[in-house]
Amino acid sequence: MDLAAAKVWAGALCTFAIYSFLWKENRFFRAFQNLYVGLAAGYSLVVAFNTLKRQAWGPLTEAGETSVVIPMLLGVLLFTRLSKQYGWIARYPMALLMGIGSALSMKAIESDFVRQIQASIISLKAPGIGGVFNNLVLSLGTAFALVYFFFTFKPNKASQIAGRLGRWVLMLCFGAAFGSAVQGRLSLLISQMQFLLRDWLKIIS
Amino acid sequence: MDVIKWFGNLDRRWLYALLLFVVVTPLISPLGIPVDVTEATAQFVAAVEKLNPGDRMLLVFDYSIGGGPDVDPQAQIVLAHALSKGVRVVEVAFVDTGLNYALKSIEKWEKAGKVYGEDILLLGYAAGGETAISAFAQDIAQVFPTDIRGNPLTSYPIMQGIKTAGDFDFIAEFATGIPGPAEWIRQVVTRYNVPLGCGVVAVMGPQNVPYLQSGQLVGLLGGGLKSAAEYEIAVGMPGPATAAMDAQSLGHIVVVLFVVAGNLLFFVERKEQKAKKRG
Repeated sequence: MDLAAAKVWAGALCTFAIYSFLWKENRFFRAFQNLYVGLAAGYSLVVAFNTLKRQAWGPLTEAGETSVVIPMLLGVLLFTRLSKQYGWIARYPMALLMGIGSALSMKAIESDFVRQIQASIISLKAPGIGGVFNNLVLSLGTAFALVYFFFTFKPNKASQIAGRLGRWVLMLCFGAAFGSAVQGRLSLLISQMQFLLRDWLKIIS
Repeated sequence: MDVIKWFGNLDRRWLYALLLFVVVTPLISPLGIPVDVTEATAQFVAAVEKLNPGDRMLLVFDYSIGGGPDVDPQAQIVLAHALSKGVRVVEVAFVDTGLNYALKSIEKWEKAGKVYGEDILLLGYAAGGETAISAFAQDIAQVFPTDIRGNPLTSYPIMQGIKTAGDFDFIAEFATGIPGPAEWIRQVVTRYNVPLGCGVVAVMGPQNVPYLQSGQLVGLLGGGLKSAAEYEIAVGMPGPATAAMDAQSLGHIVVVLFVVAGNLLFFVERKEQKAKKRG
């Protein structure tokens, strides 16, 4: 058996082991689940090591770029969390990370807030009845969903009805997300069946 | 009523067996259920069609192994479409497992005759998520002094004149989580206004539609494997995603039937409980 065939057989074995959980919990499944976790951790470690070597250690030792020492040092300081005595040092790189993260997120004001509000202000004059209906659903759906989250004043009859409709809009959104989740899970099953039928059993091309 | 009660006590493994049957059967003997191309996919195809030979596309592999079967067919067909038009493609990953898919694609297209460094290039993986994307967008060489093979970026013809993310003619990003379309829009589209098309796992599709409606995305493959099949059909390159559509349609029918039956059972049981309380 050559290496390629051995890989396919290993893949088929892993597939059966993981899917055996559907029959019932068993040792075979647990063993392969642990194997998967170990492989994933090992893979991440190797990628992280290579990335450090290529993007930090390499430029430092080969090109003499001393500026990479600062992020490397900050990265090492994160590990001081493992010590009870020096754990406080890790707060500094962590604070820097949080500061950078917060600053970068500020751009969301334009991309997720201003631009989305702009996109919600649409004309009802659209081509065809379907277009008008779509724009109406978008405008009213946005308004109703927002009304549902008004908690700071005593609701009157109109806002109660709008809030209830807003809840329906949210439910429809959750339904779409759930349907999409089912679709995604089926894709995983189909992909694995294609692998078994095509690469392992060679029934399909 | 007895039938409904029997159904309620049905071992869930029968559902698994039925699902397996309806998925495997059409894979072996396809039914040819038609697949319509949605507007969002057509927009993505049109955006890639607009590119001229020699233009440069950045292809981002931000997906995990768990979501790979949903998103990888999307990335592969977009890559095949771009290369068939003579568009040059630079690949990069900001999710570590995405690098593996990128490496495989480079291997495949080099075997197919594409020249590494001229037609196609892999920069590698950068850790740091959104922070790394922001740094990459400002100065690519700062994040990737070399490509995945350890050579300086300036040594490759494909990278001539490319300094920032804004120098690409199109960015196609494929994601299964964070970083995803929101991060790329925040850090790249907002600043450089470069056309961005995204492909995501099906569960992320609905939440990214507003970006398409606002024009921040020029195309969205938001339906997972189904979107990949739509793309394959739209560009006349049927592949594994198209072959999977019969199985997916039948699988959905089974799931929908069981959801309806489960709800019916719920209402029947509730009615019976109310009757018992009254009686």
